[in-house]
Amino acid sequence: MSLPESERNVYVAPPEPPPSRRPPVTTVGVLGWLRQNLFSSWPNTLATLVTAAFLAWFVQAFVRWSVENAQWGVITNNLRLITSGLYPRAEIWRMEVTAALLVFLTGLGLGIWARVARSVFVIVLIVLGAIVFVPLIGARIPEPTIYVLIEPQRTPSSFVFLGYRGQELRVELDPLTDLDDVNTRQLGYVESQSRATWSTQARAAATGQLDLADHNLELSVRLLDRSGSPVAVRGAPVQARSTPDALGGSFTVELPRDGWYVLHVERNDEDRDNNTGYAWLRIDGVELFSSLEAAAIARQAEYGPPPDVERPLFAEDRAYRFEGTRTFGEFVSLQLAPFLSRIARESFIGAALFANGWVIGTLGKHEKRVRRAAILGWVLAGPVILVILYGVQGSRTLPIVTTSAWGGLLLTILLTFVGITASFPLGVALALGRRSELPVIKWTCTLFIEVIRGVPLITILFMAKLIVPFFWSALSGLDLTVRMMIGLTLFSAAYLAENVRGGLQIVPHGQLEAARALGMNPFLTTSLIVLPQALRAVIPAIVGQFISLFKDTSLVAVVGLFELVGIVDTIVSGQPIYRPYQREAYIFIAIIYFVISYAMSDVSRRLETSGAGSVRR
Amino acid sequence: MSNNNNREPIIICRGVNKWFGNFHVLKDINLEVMPQEVVVIIGPSGSGKSTFIRCINRLEEHQEGQIIVDGIELSHDVRNIAAIRSEIGMVFQQFNLFPHLTVLQNITLAPRYVRRQPRRVADEVALQLLARVGIPEQARKYPAQLSGGQQQRVAIARALAMQPKIMLFDEPTSALDPEMIKEVLDVMKELAQSGMTMLVVTHEMGFAREVADRIVFFDEGRIVEMGPPEHFFSNPQHERTKLFLSQIL
Repeated sequence: MSLPESERNVYVAPPEPPPSRRPPVTTVGVLGWLRQNLFSSWPNTLATLVTAAFLAWFVQAFVRWSVENAQWGVITNNLRLITSGLYPRAEIWRMEVTAALLVFLTGLGLGIWARVARSVFVIVLIVLGAIVFVPLIGARIPEPTIYVLIEPQRTPSSFVFLGYRGQELRVELDPLTDLDDVNTRQLGYVESQSRATWSTQARAAATGQLDLADHNLELSVRLLDRSGSPVAVRGAPVQARSTPDALGGSFTVELPRDGWYVLHVERNDEDRDNNTGYAWLRIDGVELFSSLEAAAIARQAEYGPPPDVERPLFAEDRAYRFEGTRTFGEFVSLQLAPFLSRIARESFIGAALFANGWVIGTLGKHEKRVRRAAILGWVLAGPVILVILYGVQGSRTLPIVTTSAWGGLLLTILLTFVGITASFPLGVALALGRRSELPVIKWTCTLFIEVIRGVPLITILFMAKLIVPFFWSALSGLDLTVRMMIGLTLFSAAYLAENVRGGLQIVPHGQLEAARALGMNPFLTTSLIVLPQALRAVIPAIVGQFISLFKDTSLVAVVGLFELVGIVDTIVSGQPIYRPYQREAYIFIAIIYFVISYAMSDVSRRLETSGAGSVRR
Repeated sequence: MSNNNNREPIIICRGVNKWFGNFHVLKDINLEVMPQEVVVIIGPSGSGKSTFIRCINRLEEHQEGQIIVDGIELSHDVRNIAAIRSEIGMVFQQFNLFPHLTVLQNITLAPRYVRRQPRRVADEVALQLLARVGIPEQARKYPAQLSGGQQQRVAIARALAMQPKIMLFDEPTSALDPEMIKEVLDVMKELAQSGMTMLVVTHEMGFAREVADRIVFFDEGRIVEMGPPEHFFSNPQHERTKLFLSQIL
């Protein structure tokens, strides 16, 4: 009060407020972002560099391993087993129809209700392009060498292969006479039994038990056609010899026609019991053919049955293992290209169906009839698919295929789908029941939830398998798969109930009062006001529970159902040929699980931020 | 039983007592409200004013006494409660709009699901009500996109959509910015002039003086004094009333 006027804080703003300006330019584009987020301080910079180094090392190590050393044949040769289990071959068309239906409905649904990022289309186009072009490139890359070990006891033997007119074949007999020969690793395809023998002999030679210099076999290799008569070039039969005096022999020939050929290996020395020695038969320019049944049938149709020879060794990819480090070109031609050409047909049909569905969905987005048809399609899809896959009693087009034959990815997806759709209403009901004012309902629901949450899933699955029939003899005939579905549903419902209960607590009490004041009964209040808000609030938790359920289906392998993990387990432990490839198999499963789980959590994120999910207060 | 006679009270409270546990929150309330009367209830916090009006539409339950609304007694009978609630509309301090529905859907929800009105009819009525409260252009927006005053007006429209005979207001402007209080009070004024029976709990003395037919003063769970505003504000009788008015005016 004693300050003079001029020193008092009197201020009057000009009539118009100043215009809004842009913030100062301290960050410029990408470099600016990097500077702010990754390199803002010394600890941050250090963390960035360490992480980047680790990531770079890990990624390149993984890529190099998968290109150079991994044998993905364990997956590509068993694709049908992995995707559909033991479903009978003649009925596979039903699975394809189911997949086609689902792909179309998904495209339709996405077109109507979702904004599909452009990147998805780009990725799909790139994949389709790869499917078309990679096999073309792969065909131009020369085949790696094939090695067959000639042992003294295992002659005569015949290497049977398919040749093509104009193909240049080079065959070499390479005796192993000293340790260097043995220690040089072969680079190419080594026949499985040869490989086993070779590693034994290598060890024996290294420890001195086997004297390689004592090589006195006389070997010869001749090229025969399918009828057994030698192939001749300018009158001379195509053959090569290796004798103790002239070690190693080879020949190169251009094959005259398409068809089966035989490389017949013989011993010409007299003293069978005392002579010894080993030799590699190196074959260049021959392509291993696919051991898949479908390919074999096609081969027969085109070239006739393979020649009937003594001790045949077929150039079948299943019997050979790639030794050494592949080049990238070899990876493309040997693993990537055959796989892509095998999935080419299905991929294009699938892409076409998806695109059709999406276009129809996008164009009809605002039309009530289209939306109704889409919803109806999805609702009917479940039962229709079940009928198609399971079959109808006495039908000829759809004979019954019991669920014990269902397996692989099909079974995983089926268990997940049924688990999700059945446990969701049950879980919501349990949550509401637990909050009920009627003591009987409240205690029953609470007991159920707490008991199930207190027991591991695997125990519940065993109980479903073994105990359920005790309670009710009528249920003992229930399919194992259905029992597992029940177990998974109950388990998921209990956890879901707790998630939903959390959401119910979030809804403000005032909402209930407003609804009551408007005259809405408890049912209307719960279904129109409380549940929509409660469920939206816990979408992340609910979808997280569903993702868990998807991965928990792998536990049914313990109970005896062969879903994805179970069937891959059977492949790598059951068939000796695939036993060394466990790494590839399990990495592949991990990738599948990751892709699907990521898709689910992406859906969750979209639901949260879309108009449907956001409850802005 | 509908009451067309203007001389019979539309709300009768006799000897209403309520306890929260051991706490005696409403002590022997006796009140009669005539049709088309505007009653404004004032009093300090914790005096039981909000509890009282919440008892009238059974958001709270009274343990002793009688509450009779339009001839229907408020008892444990669910049908009675439902019938009474259909005649009473309520506006809350916190608006309590449904955040996951648009403004229009907020208003039409109850008529469509409780009264089974077809959607077109409900929508038309809703738009008329929105025009009446002054915000017809906000129909497609979500409550979070509106200001507080607009939200409260939507809440009033939502309550009016059920065509109540009585409107209860529980401190409708206490959560609003001073600039928005006026727009809501204007709506309530217009409502009063159109002949609605209103029970308003508020601290807005200007509104009370202008619009009320009767002022009721609550303190510590009982009605201390009531009377028409000209007498109440200029000539309070009870000591407590005089003390209260001296603090706030």
